[in-house]
Amino acid sequence: MEWSVADGASRYRATLEEQEGGVSISTLTRDGLEIAPPDVLVSTDDKAGRLLVELDGRPRLVHAAKSGDSWWIHLDGHSHVVHFHEQGSAGLSTNAGSLTAPMPGTILEMLVKQGQRVREGQALLVMEAMKMEHRIQAPKAGEVTKVHYEQGQRVDMGSVLIEIGD
Amino acid sequence: MLPEWMSESPRPFARVLVANRGEIAVRVLQAAREAGMGGVAVFSDADANSLHVEVADEAVHLSGDTLDQTYLDGDAIIEAARGCGADAIHPGYGFLSERADFARAVEAAGLVWIGPPGEAIETMGDKVSARLLMIDSGVPVIPGEELAVEEDADHLGVLASAAARVGYPLLLKASAGGGGKGMRSVSEPRALRTEYEAASREASAAFGVGTIYIERLLTGARHVEIQVMCDQHGGAIHLNERDCSIQRRYQKVIEEAPSPAVSPEIRLAMGEAAVTAARSVGYVGAGTVEFLLSGNGQFHFLEMNTRLQVEHPVTEMTTGIDMVQKQFEIAAGLPLGIDQTEVKQSGHAIEARIYAEDPGRGFLPSIGRLVTWQAPVGPGIRVDSGVRQGDEVTIDFDPMLAKLIVHAPDRHAAIRRLDTALADFVALGVQTNIGFLRRLATHHSFQSGSADTGFLDQTPTEELSGPEPDEGTLIAIAAAAQRLGVDRSRADFTEAVDEYTGHAGDPFRTLRRTFP
Repeated sequence: MEWSVADGASRYRATLEEQEGGVSISTLTRDGLEIAPPDVLVSTDDKAGRLLVELDGRPRLVHAAKSGDSWWIHLDGHSHVVHFHEQGSAGLSTNAGSLTAPMPGTILEMLVKQGQRVREGQALLVMEAMKMEHRIQAPKAGEVTKVHYEQGQRVDMGSVLIEIGD
Repeated sequence: MLPEWMSESPRPFARVLVANRGEIAVRVLQAAREAGMGGVAVFSDADANSLHVEVADEAVHLSGDTLDQTYLDGDAIIEAARGCGADAIHPGYGFLSERADFARAVEAAGLVWIGPPGEAIETMGDKVSARLLMIDSGVPVIPGEELAVEEDADHLGVLASAAARVGYPLLLKASAGGGGKGMRSVSEPRALRTEYEAASREASAAFGVGTIYIERLLTGARHVEIQVMCDQHGGAIHLNERDCSIQRRYQKVIEEAPSPAVSPEIRLAMGEAAVTAARSVGYVGAGTVEFLLSGNGQFHFLEMNTRLQVEHPVTEMTTGIDMVQKQFEIAAGLPLGIDQTEVKQSGHAIEARIYAEDPGRGFLPSIGRLVTWQAPVGPGIRVDSGVRQGDEVTIDFDPMLAKLIVHAPDRHAAIRRLDTALADFVALGVQTNIGFLRRLATHHSFQSGSADTGFLDQTPTEELSGPEPDEGTLIAIAAAAQRLGVDRSRADFTEAVDEYTGHAGDPFRTLRRTFP
């Protein structure tokens, strides 16, 4: 089992150790390299969805909930999301040259054509979601090698919209 | 049966249909219940299991796939009211609330319209006629030039020459827009065309009309608005101001009352101007007159919102007036029952809008299931929510989930209460702006009360993002949670299965626990 945090690219692996009063972490690797594990002791609380977490010796209540392949954690007044991945599965961004839809919505306008050169930050298309317009920009400079959708089409989150070559 | 308070009413009603969804529908339906009346909800397919349907006495399904076929279909809504014996319609905000033809159709159908007359909506809804009326009434307006651009006409040439006369930076506004939709700022001529087309499209998608209005963009000003309340007998008062300067892309994020920039003298002058504006248009009910307040104390009329505002709770908290109840009383033909000198100003209230959006990704809307939703509670904390735990957040509607409102004796105490309440707000499963709001609440520009309308758009994102969490700690907690099986599924049961009997909801369970 591998883990990543929010949009972060690093992959983690953790070994847990069950001990009296809860679970602690014995080894932690980041992208294959061992790093110092945090001083954390986690135990269940009698309320569902809550954990008792001793962090650096100080106890606190933490909310944790699983949704799909993610754990959502509310720690010290802030929410975080941690994803788990089956071992050996591909990274979040399978292809750095492709641009995926950041949300489900409708393509309002396609501003570029196949073969066109774009600069970094250039608006590529306009999407509408939740009644607001959002401009999707080029993550890097390059040539548009493929345009997958046209105006008016609905797209799901994560659909590859445009591919940009060098 | 009519509620007691309506016994003297010339135009009584007993069953209110709320032509809206989300938190405002919940708010109005609960107010109807409190007032001793029946409440009817309407809902589209996507809302079949929504909270506002649950809190209503009766709910009527609106069939159709698009907003135009459901929440924006005035005929279907009037039909729904007739079908279930509702004798009044409250529009909430957005949707049909500022459609003059709908207001008239409701009245023509013999139902009570809980809102201003169609004429007032029409005049104030058209930015050009509103501006001309304000000039006539002596209310100061924004310097610039009136220009209405009709859709489908050869608009670009006219627009460009008007833009050159008004001067850059300028603001393009959909005449029928609002809530940041159909509004775009243009800083240079070459951006004019794309911004115009975007504003026009947004306005027609959201409101069904695609007319655009152009005016000078005032920078460094604050957005201060006055709440007015008028009855059908010529009574008109204001309920002080709200400061809504904290905006992102013209979408209000935090609102407060009183404004840290408004002195008693400005309040008096602005209040008088707002009441003049309302009277000039024959206003009835709750309305808001928006002004831009410059650093030198000068203010200019922006627009009048002829409906209940999203941010009305901060006024309720500081004046102690239940505005929805007042709307009911006014629609029933009762007098205001309060004069200007009786309007109180108690303490300080702040509202923060909780959006399903990801501040880390340019505030893109976020979707998913709200696996955990625990709103904060405590003295001086109010949450107007349109969702509950387990609800699915979809792309079908506006991403506002709820409003958190705090009330405290003074502004500093209110800010501390806001930050604490935000920290206690547990919303998991969907990215929200809660963390961003906390950083905003603790930012020195907000704390000092000096932030103007440009603050959010001009402040670098790093200043409003906190220290990154230690990833190792989060991994450890998630891995432990996975191992310990702290799954949501246990909480999906309203009651835990009893260990002794093996049943959920066993009547003897409490007995056993009380006397083990």
